[in-house]
Amino acid sequence: MTQPLAALRSEETLALSTPAVAVEDLWFAYREGKWILQGVNLQIPAGGFWAIMGPSGAGKTTLMRILAGLLPFPRGQVDLLGHPLQGKPDPALRRMIGYIPQQLGLVRGLTALENVLLGSLARHPGWRTALGFFPRAEIERAIALLELLDLADRADEKVFRLSGGERQRVAIARTLMQDPQLILADEFVSDLDLPRAAQVLAFVHRLARERGLTVILNLHELQLVQEFADHVVILKAGQVVFESPALDLTWPLFREIMEGKR
Amino acid sequence: MSAKRLAVHGTLRGMEGRRWRELGFSLGLVALLAWLLNGMGFFEAGRLMQGGVNLVRFAQEMFPPDVRILPTIAGALVETLQMAFAGTLLGFLLSFPLGVLGSRALFPAGVVAVVRFLVAALRTVPSLLWAVLMVIVVGLGPLAGTLALAFYTVGYLAKLYAELFEAIDPEILEAMRGVGAKRRHLIRFVLWPESANAILSQLLFMLEYNVRASTVLGLVGAGGIGFYMQAYLGTMAYSRLTTVLLAVLLLVIGMDALSAWIRRRYLLQP
Ligand SMILES: Nc1ncnc2c1ncn2[C@@H]1O[C@H](COP(=O)(O)OP(=O)(O)OP(=O)(O)O)[C@@H](O)[C@H]1O
Ligand SMILES: [Mg+2]
Repeated sequence: MTQPLAALRSEETLALSTPAVAVEDLWFAYREGKWILQGVNLQIPAGGFWAIMGPSGAGKTTLMRILAGLLPFPRGQVDLLGHPLQGKPDPALRRMIGYIPQQLGLVRGLTALENVLLGSLARHPGWRTALGFFPRAEIERAIALLELLDLADRADEKVFRLSGGERQRVAIARTLMQDPQLILADEFVSDLDLPRAAQVLAFVHRLARERGLTVILNLHELQLVQEFADHVVILKAGQVVFESPALDLTWPLFREIMEGKR
Repeated sequence: MSAKRLAVHGTLRGMEGRRWRELGFSLGLVALLAWLLNGMGFFEAGRLMQGGVNLVRFAQEMFPPDVRILPTIAGALVETLQMAFAGTLLGFLLSFPLGVLGSRALFPAGVVAVVRFLVAALRTVPSLLWAVLMVIVVGLGPLAGTLALAFYTVGYLAKLYAELFEAIDPEILEAMRGVGAKRRHLIRFVLWPESANAILSQLLFMLEYNVRASTVLGLVGAGGIGFYMQAYLGTMAYSRLTTVLLAVLLLVIGMDALSAWIRRRYLLQP
């Protein structure tokens, strides 16, 4: 009786000590010779809620796209959830990573429900779904997620008719539909006003805690970072210039870093 | 001057240079037109005068139109419409997959290059020449006309569709790849819904065009009302020709109205 229990414990500790994201000396360039990321190092623990900040053009989106497995990188090592990322990630790893791009990447001509259903494609890659037939259980799940996000009455509305905040929540629902362990969101609340953004982040934060998800967000607002993130990284010109618990990043310190005095 | 001011100065100078070039280009174009028209005898007064006289004589013979032939040409009119609809739809069914294959958003550059070359080749042949070719291949009649219109349609729609698909927001495609979507899903859930409006709009445009084009295919024996046009022209039965032309005019106007109605009804709301 004691043996398996002990084994389970040690496995758990191992799982907890493996970082969700480990980036080592990552280099990337869109065009030969112009390095956008220059030796980035990051260790993000499982269950972490991390914010990445930095001036425009620092390479935040680029880093996100690499972590989402959408951009192959020439130099460095990236491990996601304990699996090395090289070339195209295999489908099993793929489905554990939820990526929300800056403009959300929703299909405007489809309804909210249809967009959420797309999150289940990794589980049903066959021709049935390509013809538009999703399993009943998935449809019920999608509806439950829309209810959770307070969007039940908007389910059959086309996305281009939804408000900015509603679209944000549809994008979250699509990502949750995927059932990921890691969520990467690129400035996805920057189009909302501050109270709205705080509301959305509060929701994602609570959900991540409940489900033990790791979340990495690109954020512009220090207030939001201080309120929600537990750790913050500042990227400048493709390099990590600062890293600390979110509460240690004060306004004067933040300005100092952004203005280049450090 | 600071580097910035120098740069602004350079931009302004560039703009002035561009204006002069545009002006010179316009004048050159007018001169070219005058030269071309002159070569064709446009500026010979006697010839123009004679043309005017001929036109009046021709017009006198055309009116009044001979409406007794209406029952005779009714069947050919219907056949013209059938050819236009069938040719457009057949062309559309081929254009959509070719448009997908010809879009760099989904397929490797090699495939895209081959498809685009093929489509461009289709496009260089005018619809009347397609009709001649199809008459040789499948014989006289509306089947030849339908196939001719289909080929011509593919040449245009496949190109337009490929361009539509390439203009789709790459973030959407990226997000879809992020959820593990395969190419078939991208076609069904991104390409189609994101461009459905434009796809249908261009399809309607092609239908209008093909109704017009189908009226002359009969000139080369490819079916439809064109047969009577040619017959009455050949026998100088101009008052009957007038009836045919008026019928064609009504057909085209009717088609344009129908298409405008469909646009208003189904396409205007985004
Ligand atoms: N597809 C691309 N091709 C070439 N260069 C690119 C591409 N995408 C981004 N870049 C360049 O890479 C650099 C970093 O861009 P990135 O989008 O990662 O910045 P960012 O930190 O997300 O900025 P922002 O806060 O404005 O979103 C910029 O100089 C940008 O011009
Ligand atoms: Mg960005």
